[in-house]
Formats: sequence, C-alpha cells, structure tokens
Amino acid sequence: MHKLFKGFLTGLLFLTIVAIPACKSKKTPPPKVAPTETTASVPPVAATTTETQVTNPPDFVQTETQPNVTVTTLPSDIAELNRVAEERGYLQDAFFDFDASTLSSDAQAALTASANWLRQNAQYNVLIEGHCDERGTEQYNLALGDRRANAAKEFIVALGVDAGRIRTVSYGEERPFDPGHDETAWGKNRRAHLVIVGK
Amino acid sequence: MTDRRVSRLSAVQGAVRQLGHPFVLLLLVLPMAAPLQGQTQIHTEINPNQATPVVRIAIPHPETVIPLEEYNDAFFAPLTRDLAASGVFAIAPIPPNVAVNGDLVKAANADFLLALKMRQEEQDYIVEARLIDARGMTISEPFRPSAYRGTAPALTRMAHTLASNLVRAFSGKTGIFLSQIGYASNRSGHWEIWLMDWDGANQRQITHDRSMAILPSWSPDNDRMVYTRFAGGRSEMYIINRIGGGRMSVPTALGLNTSATFSPVSHDIAFVGSVSGNPDIYVVRDDGTNLRRLTTGYSIESTPEWSPTGRQISFTSGRSGTPQIYTMDADGTNVQRISFDGAWNDDATWAPDGEQLAYTSQVNGRFQIRIMNVITRQSRIIAGEGSNEQPTWSPDGRWIAFQSNRSGAWQIYRIRVDGTDLSQLTFDGENKDPDWSKKSE
Repeated sequence: MHKLFKGFLTGLLFLTIVAIPACKSKKTPPPKVAPTETTASVPPVAATTTETQVTNPPDFVQTETQPNVTVTTLPSDIAELNRVAEERGYLQDAFFDFDASTLSSDAQAALTASANWLRQNAQYNVLIEGHCDERGTEQYNLALGDRRANAAKEFIVALGVDAGRIRTVSYGEERPFDPGHDETAWGKNRRAHLVIVGK
Repeated sequence: MTDRRVSRLSAVQGAVRQLGHPFVLLLLVLPMAAPLQGQTQIHTEINPNQATPVVRIAIPHPETVIPLEEYNDAFFAPLTRDLAASGVFAIAPIPPNVAVNGDLVKAANADFLLALKMRQEEQDYIVEARLIDARGMTISEPFRPSAYRGTAPALTRMAHTLASNLVRAFSGKTGIFLSQIGYASNRSGHWEIWLMDWDGANQRQITHDRSMAILPSWSPDNDRMVYTRFAGGRSEMYIINRIGGGRMSVPTALGLNTSATFSPVSHDIAFVGSVSGNPDIYVVRDDGTNLRRLTTGYSIESTPEWSPTGRQISFTSGRSGTPQIYTMDADGTNVQRISFDGAWNDDATWAPDGEQLAYTSQVNGRFQIRIMNVITRQSRIIAGEGSNEQPTWSPDGRWIAFQSNRSGAWQIYRIRVDGTDLSQLTFDGENKDPDWSKKSE
C-alpha cells in the first residue's frame, strides 16, 4: 500500500512538472498523464461534470450489498441518484475529529460500504469533497479538507476502487452541511462527502 | 528626535509655537506616542505610526457657485474624512464669522487653512487647492498649489487624490486614499470578487463567475488580482484585472490552488498546491510555467505570503501538531518558527516595513488579530469581539483591514494598528478575505 501510494505520488509529481495544461475554461479536458514507467497507478482524471449527465436511460443494477433487494432501479438523474445513494447508504460519508484527517473505525466502516457499492457500480465516478467545521481558519481549513478528502480516497482505492474514478476537492469551511455553531453542527461539518458525478 | 521631544512638551504645556518653517509645526502627537516617551529610538522605528507630527488644518467649504448638494457628498465630505483619518492632519473647527484668510488660521488655532475654489466648465469640475498660513500667505512648500479636473463621477477620486497629495507633502509618504481593498462577497447569490475604496465606498463586483470565487490577492502594480475559483468540483487559480476583464487561468495540475499571492518583485505566484492530500507551498509563474515546490514533508502547509522585498515567505504549517506561523527564504531554505502562542495561528501577512507580521491567532478559544515584530518577536493583540481573521495592511502600514463575525455574519472592518478608530466597511450579504492593494495609488 505504501509503495503504491509512493508511486502514485511520484507519478502525480511528475505530472505537475511535465504536463502543465492550458486550462482556459471548465470545459477544457484535464491533463493527460505523460507516459513513463511510474504512471501505471496514475490514470487520467475523468472529465465529467454534473451538468452534462442528465439524459441517460434508467439503469438496472445487480447489487450484492443489499441481500433483501436483488435488483435495484437507480435513477438516471444525478441529483436524484445521489439522494437515493445517501438514503439507502450506498455511499456513506466519513466523519473526522477536530483538526484531524485520520480515519476512525466508524469512518472506515462508512468508506468500506461506499467502496463496496462503487466496486459493484463501476460505471459511476465519484467526487470526494473535504469539509471542515468553522472553528479553524479559512485558508488552513482548505488544506485540511484536501487532506481529509484524500484520506478517504486512499482508503477506497485500497479496497479496490480504480483511483481514476475518484476526484477530490476541498471546500474547507466554505459549504457547511449544518449552519449551526455548536458541536452537533461542527461534527456534521467535519467530513469527506462522497458525490456521484456521472459515468 | 530632539525636535519631536520639544514639540511633545509644547503640546503638553498647551503652548502653540510658530517654529518658522511650516514643515516643523508639531502641535499634537498621536495617542500611541505618549506611552513610548522616554524609550529608546528603536521603538519609534518599529511603528511608523507613532512619531508622526500632526498638522492642524482648517477646511472651509469651497469658494464656488456650485450648490452644496452637488459637491458635498462626492467631494468635500470624503476629502475631510481622508484628512481627519490620515494621522498627519487634525481638522481644526472653524469659528463663525471670520473671513477666509490668515485671520481664520489664527482664530481656528490652526497651522493652515485649505483654500478651495471650485468651478464648472461644461461637464468638468475644476478644483483649485492651496494652503494659507497664519500670515495669510499661500505657501509653496511643502504643498504647492494644485488643480484637479474631472467629471462628476470623478469628484470623489479628485478628493482622494488631493488628500493623498497633502499627506505626501507633510509626511513624505503618499496617502492611502486611492488604495483599494479586494474581497469576496456573496451578496449577489454567489461568492464573487469585489473591490471597494479604502473607506468602504464604491463597492463593486469584478468577477461574474457564478460559482465560488474567493481569496483575492493584488499584484504589486495594483492592476491585477489572483484568486481561487471553485467550479465543476475543482479549485483553480485565476487572474483578473481590476475592472473585471482579462480573466485567465493559472494552470498547475495540482489540487487546492488556494491562498495565491503575487511576488512583490517578479512574475511568481506563491500558493498552496496539493498532491495526494499533501498540501505544500509552491511557486509558479503567472503564466503557469516554472512550477517549484518550496516545502516538503507530509505536514499541512498553507497560506504563503511574501515579505515586501520578496526575499522571504511566511506560511502556516501543522508540523508541530497545531497550525503555527513560520518564515522561510523565498527558495524554501532557512525555515523558522515564528508563532508559539495559541493552538491555532494562520493568515500571516507582512507590514510594508517588513518588520512586522499580522496574523490570526487563537486567544482564549477565539481568533484575534496579533501583530508581531519579527525581529524582537514581541507581539500584541488587537482585541475585538467575535472571531477576527485574515488581516491585511494598508499600503502605509497605519491600518489593518480584517474580517469579523461579531455582527453574526462575516463582514470586513478597518482599524488603526494601535487598535483605535474601528469602522465596519461592508454590510450587504457576507464579506470576507480582504486584501488591501499594495500601492497607494
């Protein structure tokens, strides 16, 4: 795992030095990975946006994680799909302690469930958003959210989900789930949030 | 120094002395200066605010046929506000029924009166300004009579220009009244980059990304800002000019791309980039080339800020277990820890003198603005209610703008570095991430 991660890091670092793409707008495709011996574990990042994925027909998916439901209809609308995925626990968020990015046993259990569903629904890509509570500072929290999102990504990849299907972004404390100012709200806001972003 | 000490004694005794040369009229001192009397000269160099003499100036309304309501709010009021806030001038109340000449200067117990003449030529307003001393003579040093011409929308700018020139004449440093504060506001329904004048007037939106644009930072020439834009599940750096045009991305192929800040001396931008969840300080040219990583190791690094010479970069690191302020040389060497107080420090930013850092510091569970002298390592708190974050220095180092949630929402405030003269600058929606332009004009 450590070696894999190191290779991934090296590959991405190489990418940052060699391939600096000209991103003029959000429609521009993401950087392609330069072919080297270190890039085997660094597939290109999927270029999907939520706006472009609304016209697909419904899908029928065989699921094994829900023993009582053998065939599940998944909505084609991405927003609806995300709502269903959250409601049925297909994708579960990981929650963190204050100023921490280590995965608790609860967080690992949530991400394991998410990884299982993602392995069995390989047509979907996922965006992992890192979030923080309001008690820190905005700029450091953006960095902390990045670490949280990537901690979740690493865990899911280790469980066999293709890293190329997962992107990460940090919103720091910019988009709290609960606008409150107490520990209940803060606890909800320190999370890695999994969002299906299309196929 | 000797002159200053004499003048302070004069002020204490209430004696008004004409010292001959108009530049040496030192009748009042700032409140800051008083406790520092009798200390060493080093202290007066640390804080540019405290040793400034104050010139008493009377400002009668302009000699003009233009109605008051046409020029007061746009010209006269901002001019008077600027000079009153300058730290260089004190406004002398004008006694009634005294002719506008040397007699007025004496009756107002002032050093000068600012004689203004205003007239209109077609669309243009023309303002002539001169200083008259107690003998009734128009002076030519240090302030030379000058004229300002512009259309109605330019009247406030003309006032700020005149005030800045007056401050430069008497202090040697241009006034900050034409400087701009960039910030992020959500009042349009999205977080966008906005600009305002130094006094909070003239608030205007310069990005229209309709996604999330935050953390603006000025270029050293005041022409451009770099900021972070979130869209499509990515965060990227963009550059935009001060009127909202010329938007271009600064591609890096890294994650985050936050806390971007222009070098004061080159085309480099320092920012936080991330690879696989490891945020570090990087530098890239403003065209996206020549990417360099300055910090290594697996701790979180964030929030870089260049020193005024461009030789050093301050940043925040979690390497000690909590976020603390560090400095390093601009090539990443010579890392030194700066902050030791409090379990969370961030947002360090250098004073124009390069000797002080203002930063966000956790004190008794709340964030406060702390100002530290990086040479003596002594620090003090500018205390305020609520959470107070993201300080930014005015170009003359006399003021700090920052964000506070003391009203229940994030708003931008301005305060003198000595902790006096607090003003709230924003009121609509929520407003944060202030960055004061680096040049005065």
